[in-house]
Amino acid sequence: MVPIRVLVAKPGLDGHDRGAKVVARALRDAGMEVIYTGLRQSPEQIVRAAIQEDVDMVGLSCLSGAHNSLFPKVVQLLKEAGAEDIQVFGGGVIPESDIPGLLEAGVRAVFTPGTPLEEIVNFVRESVKKGDA
Amino acid sequence: MDTEALVQLARCPLDNPNVHVIGVTGPPGGGKSTLCGQLVQNLAREHKVAALLVDPSSPYSGGAILGDRIRMSALSANPNVYIRSLSNRGNTGGVNSTVVSIIRAVMNCGFEYIIVETVGAGQSEVKIASIADTTLVVAVPNLGDDIQAFKSGIMEIADIFVINKADLPGADVLFAALRESAVRHKDGWLTPVCQTVAVEGRGIDSLLDYIRAHGDWLRRQGRLTEKRKQAAKFEILELSSYYLQSHLDQVPADVLAANLANKDFNMLQRLLDAYREIVNSLSEVN
Ligand SMILES: Nc1nc2c(ncn2[C@@H]2O[C@H](COP(=O)(O)OP(=O)(O)O)[C@@H](O)[C@H]2O)c(=O)[nH]1
Ligand SMILES: [Mg+2]
Repeated sequence: MVPIRVLVAKPGLDGHDRGAKVVARALRDAGMEVIYTGLRQSPEQIVRAAIQEDVDMVGLSCLSGAHNSLFPKVVQLLKEAGAEDIQVFGGGVIPESDIPGLLEAGVRAVFTPGTPLEEIVNFVRESVKKGDA
Repeated sequence: MDTEALVQLARCPLDNPNVHVIGVTGPPGGGKSTLCGQLVQNLAREHKVAALLVDPSSPYSGGAILGDRIRMSALSANPNVYIRSLSNRGNTGGVNSTVVSIIRAVMNCGFEYIIVETVGAGQSEVKIASIADTTLVVAVPNLGDDIQAFKSGIMEIADIFVINKADLPGADVLFAALRESAVRHKDGWLTPVCQTVAVEGRGIDSLLDYIRAHGDWLRRQGRLTEKRKQAAKFEILELSSYYLQSHLDQVPADVLAANLANKDFNMLQRLLDAYREIVNSLSEVN
């Protein structure tokens, strides 16, 4: 009944948010409430926003290549704030070889360009459902 | 929605006279979020400020993209600031049915200013006036028909007119027109007309002076208490219609249709009886 809430954020310095917007729209069309925070957010800003907005998940999009530091940082700051129930997933141009390290750091999933949108939508739905159980 | 939480919230006092609830309405793209960001930034130098930002839900999926935060991203790190994006969840009128409950929550967390930005769909957004102590109606130059739109109801709810995007041509014409049609409220508040350029932070100080002046006036007149009672009344009206609708929505249409006013199960009569009973018992306790 209560819609799933997702924060979609763009950490890092690149100015391309087309991918983030496409994902945001897909989640909205699946009935979710998506808080979109715009470009160039620091991990600190993202975490504060996620907590204030009481979201179920945070989706990070990064094309600048800084994902290896930014994504784990968000996970870590959420944990430090006692909000590790907010799960993090990521997307963007991310080399396959970086993915295991990101998952290890607590990122729940990483979606590379070309991932079907249904896959992302289903992932969010399933993850939130599991978290509730 | 979590009914237990709503009942808990309904017990939180709404009558704190040291809190100022400010509503901001006006056309989409008029700069409401940018303006709210400026107000929040300014007020947060000395006060705890909460901003509740309402955006529309999709009529197809019920989902929403809530993008008002984009205009105030610098404030995410400010410890005096709390920002919450809200979907209107299908509610018409610019807000959602739980907004007063949320105002209660932040009011009781020590926030001194609470700013509510409405959806911004235009003329029918008058609900904010039942919620806020002070309602700002934002207008922008050269929307062509905005004076026309003002004539149909939104004018009356303004405690302060704000001409935002005053950097654009046509601001003077709009200023003159609004000044001429400014509403004088009961008890003598004359709706002022402010000009702002929210993207540059211009005009914000004088707008804040008017906002404070209106707050003081409400308190002097003893009208603030009245306003909050109206807000609580609005809350019960909105919540009850929301709940009725969401319960009925869960019943298949054919079942509803067959039992609307059936001899065996007269749903309409039962609903009306239930309402009457509640209202009658209310007059007994009072
Ligand atoms: N020229 C000008 N543009 C503004 C001003 N205030 C806001 N804007 C721009 O108007 C657009 C819509 O602003 P936004 O705050 O999102 O409007 P809202 O839909 O009413 O919340 C943005 O591109 C802002 O940068 C202003 O004072 N002057
Ligand atoms: Mg807005």
